[in-house]
Amino acid sequence: MISVYLDRPTWAHRRSAGMKLGLLALCSVLLLPQDSLILFIGCLAGALTLYASLGRDGLSQVLLLKPMIVFFGIILVFHGLFTGWQEGFVVVLRLIVMVLLANFVSITTRMDDMMDAVMPLFVPLKWLGGSPRTIALAVALVLRFVPVLMTVYGGLSESYRARGGKQGSWRLIAPFALQSLRLSENVAEALSARGGARGVFEQNRSAGRNVRLTGLQVGK
Amino acid sequence: MALWHPLRRKDAKKELNPNQDVYARFDRVKLTLGNRQVLSDVSLSLSEKRIGVVGLNGSGKSSFVRLVNGLRRADSGTVKVFGSDIDDVAADLPRFVGFVFQNPDHQAIFPTVGEEIAFGLRQLGFDKAKARDDALRFLELHSCSALVDKPFAELSEGQKQLICILAVLVMEPKVLILDEPMASLDGLAGRKIMQKLKKLDQKLLMISHDLSFLADFDRILWLEDGSIRMDSVPGDVLPAFRADVERRSALELGGDDL
Repeated sequence: MISVYLDRPTWAHRRSAGMKLGLLALCSVLLLPQDSLILFIGCLAGALTLYASLGRDGLSQVLLLKPMIVFFGIILVFHGLFTGWQEGFVVVLRLIVMVLLANFVSITTRMDDMMDAVMPLFVPLKWLGGSPRTIALAVALVLRFVPVLMTVYGGLSESYRARGGKQGSWRLIAPFALQSLRLSENVAEALSARGGARGVFEQNRSAGRNVRLTGLQVGK
Repeated sequence: MALWHPLRRKDAKKELNPNQDVYARFDRVKLTLGNRQVLSDVSLSLSEKRIGVVGLNGSGKSSFVRLVNGLRRADSGTVKVFGSDIDDVAADLPRFVGFVFQNPDHQAIFPTVGEEIAFGLRQLGFDKAKARDDALRFLELHSCSALVDKPFAELSEGQKQLICILAVLVMEPKVLILDEPMASLDGLAGRKIMQKLKKLDQKLLMISHDLSFLADFDRILWLEDGSIRMDSVPGDVLPAFRADVERRSALELGGDDL
């Protein structure tokens, strides 16, 4: 989830990202074949306890489920009518538990730690001449710019409505795309000003040079 | 306020010497974007501690400062940075010439402040743990350690611009180029940032529409239609520029004049 990272250190922040992601994967593998309603109620209680252990603002993160209630409702009714209510509840609870657990990892893991943990999965890219670092940077950019793009859209929508337009008009799609492209150009420029996607060090190394870093020291 | 020792490098084929006084030398530089002549025949050298750049919109200020760090390349003429041709040393330039943009939202790449500062260090080849430690120490030095885990989007405009400046400074450039850094700030935040900038060791090359920031600079360049209209101390250039703006604004306004 995007802007909900808890910027307050908790016990869960101190655990390694790899361990959290590993446990998350293990849980989903183990929970997938289960069909006991009691078990999933227990899991839900467990997941809520995890959130509660982060404190009041941690528990309030559970509200992220709110926009999904409709979908859960549809799934529940669908299952209830066609395969039985018990199974419907199991399916929905399984989904809720998994979403809660995944979100728990998101809100307690800094993005670059998360990237470092999944970076080994991108190593095959190196054999093809790509760079895992570029992927990590791309993910960082997406996370960073989703809220920025929402602001851009908000600005367009406001100026459209200020001149009598309706909210949520399809007419805003093209200008939004254009503004996003322009924004991306600015961002690309700012990125190159700090050494580009590959970094100053990488560029020197690939040019056969050797960079020796003396390390940072505080001076007067 | 020298914060860090410079990073040293060996075995470089084209060595630029970042300790020389003149950091940029333009020789008959021309630049065209699309079919518009943005700069025509600019020749000068830059060495003063603080240089301001003024001019109306479209006068070529932004392109001019972008030539100094290689974001734009001249169509003809030469740009030398620290004595080396810019084409030879472009990959190294981000370490020596920092660039701060007008809109902090276009510059920050990472979701949190700590990651944003550490990014510059990782760009220089530091491993993750060291980059993060040094980023935190750097924020402490600038009394910003409370911001380290804050999401960038939640900062005030002044804090955002300060973090963008620190994210560039952490790479220890010799020169800091700023393209209207106060444009999105209120008067108070702008003045606070300016005070911070004046304490730096780095040489500054700054574009500003607010002339009061430039009053005690060492040199002012006034660009008009892609050439240098005036190049002197603020006491000469700023009043002349102001008078020119007044004179133009007194003329009747037509669509072509804006």
